[in-house]
Amino acid sequence: MVHLDALYRVALRLTGNAADADDLVQETMLKAYRAWHQYEQGTNAKGWLLTILRHAFINEYRRRTRHPETVDLDAIEPFAVFEDIQEEDPQGRFFDQIVDDEVLRAIDELPEQFREAIVLSDVEGMSYEEVARILSVPIGTVKSRLFRARRLLQAKLYEYAVGMGYIKGSRT
Amino acid sequence: MNCREAVEHLYEYLDKELTPDVERAVRQHLDDCRPCLEQFDFEDAFLKFLQARCRARCAPPELKRRILHELFGE
Repeated sequence: MVHLDALYRVALRLTGNAADADDLVQETMLKAYRAWHQYEQGTNAKGWLLTILRHAFINEYRRRTRHPETVDLDAIEPFAVFEDIQEEDPQGRFFDQIVDDEVLRAIDELPEQFREAIVLSDVEGMSYEEVARILSVPIGTVKSRLFRARRLLQAKLYEYAVGMGYIKGSRT
Repeated sequence: MNCREAVEHLYEYLDKELTPDVERAVRQHLDDCRPCLEQFDFEDAFLKFLQARCRARCAPPELKRRILHELFGE
C-alpha cells in the first residue's frame, strides 16, 4: 500500500474526477494482487503498479471520462516564458503566488499525452526510462513530450499570473 | 559547449539524465555563462514549484479501507 498515494494522484489527473480515480485505483490494486506472481522481485514496484493503472484507464475509463485527443501535438509551438520575463522576474518568483488548485487545473487542461508525461516525471519523480516503460514509447518520445508539456504548462501559468496581476508580463 | 548546446540539454541536465561527461560539460558552461545559468535556475525553480504544488494530495483513508477490505476481506 506504500504507493497508494502516487497511484491516486496519477489516477486523479488521468480521469479528472475523484469518484473515477477511486475506482481506478481500487481496480489497479485488485489487478496487481491477482498478477502478483508476474511481478519481478527487485524491479520498480511503483512503475509496475502505474503501468497496470494506465492500462486499466485506457481500456475502461478513457472512453467515458475524456474524449480521445484531436489536437496535433507536433503543431504546438513551445514558447519559452523565461525569454519574456528575464528582465522582470528571472527567478520565477511569480510561481510562488499560484495556488495548488490552479496548477492542477492547468495540468488537467493539457493534452493527455503531455499530462501523463508531466504527472509521471515531474510529480512522481520517475526517470525517463521508467516513464518510457509505463507509456510504452521510446525515451526520445518521453523527452520531447516532457519538453513541450513543460513549456506549455509554463505558458498557461504565466498567462494566468499575468491575468491575476501577479506579474506585469511583456506579452499583450 | 556553447549556449545553444547547453540549452538543448537543459531538461536532461535538471532531470539528472545526462551521462557524466555531458553533465560536466554543461556545468562548466554554466560556470562561465550567467545568462544560461539564470535560465537553468528559472526552469529548476519551475520544476520544484510543480512538484511541491502537486504532491500534497494523498489517497483518501476511505479508499484505503475499501481496498484492504476488497483484498483481504473482513
